[in-house]
Amino acid sequence: MTNEHYLRVSYFVVALVSLGLGVAAYRVLRRPFTAICETLPGKSHLSTWKRTLAVSLTMAALLGFLSVSYRYCGKSYAEIVNDRSYLVQVNRNQIQATAESIVYAVFGWCLVIVIFLVIARKRRQSPGDLD
Amino acid sequence: MSPHFIVFLVSLVVAVVVLILTDRLLCPGLRGLLEDVTALPAATEFYIRAFGLAIVFIALAAVFGAHPDLKSDAHFMEYAWAVAAALQDVFQDLVIVLLVYVALITVLMASLRRKR
Repeated sequence: MTNEHYLRVSYFVVALVSLGLGVAAYRVLRRPFTAICETLPGKSHLSTWKRTLAVSLTMAALLGFLSVSYRYCGKSYAEIVNDRSYLVQVNRNQIQATAESIVYAVFGWCLVIVIFLVIARKRRQSPGDLD
Repeated sequence: MSPHFIVFLVSLVVAVVVLILTDRLLCPGLRGLLEDVTALPAATEFYIRAFGLAIVFIALAAVFGAHPDLKSDAHFMEYAWAVAAALQDVFQDLVIVLLVYVALITVLMASLRRKR
């Protein structure tokens, strides 16, 4: 496999892997997240929240992937393609950035869930006021 | 097999062992605390899963982010140093994630305990 071929294949394979990591994170959190949303007042927003979780986690994964540039240190295209170890290193950096972005997004959602739980508790304490 | 791949593989295996140990040590207590604070099984499950995701992804990021500088004729101890450097990143990032998670749980406790 030539370096040019490796560059093309690896770029799109790593993009798919990043997307897959985002989807996997969403699938792990989906069920408890849905159950928490069901305790909130206003059931009509349930699908909106679920979609927001899905979009935010997959977008975070893609953001991490896209945040890594091949043109670091002003390398030309020929220099980039000629250096196979540099191509592998960039692929690894892309996966690293993807994983870190997903962690940031998960922590963001943990904070959102704190707010949800406070609202749900208020609702339990005074059910008539918030419904 | 290239030296980089060997270091990557060994780092990955050790990181997985560290993750399993961290999970086994922290999860039972964390689950009890969350059940007590949230009083909602779904919320407990969400935070436990978020914790699992966070430590797995941060360890993965640290292992993938390590770039050992090794030649093919490197000595055994050079491999050991390269693995140690990769594991340093794993432990450092894990500690940061654990601190952020503790801060999150503190916010959760402060928000929910007050209302009892």
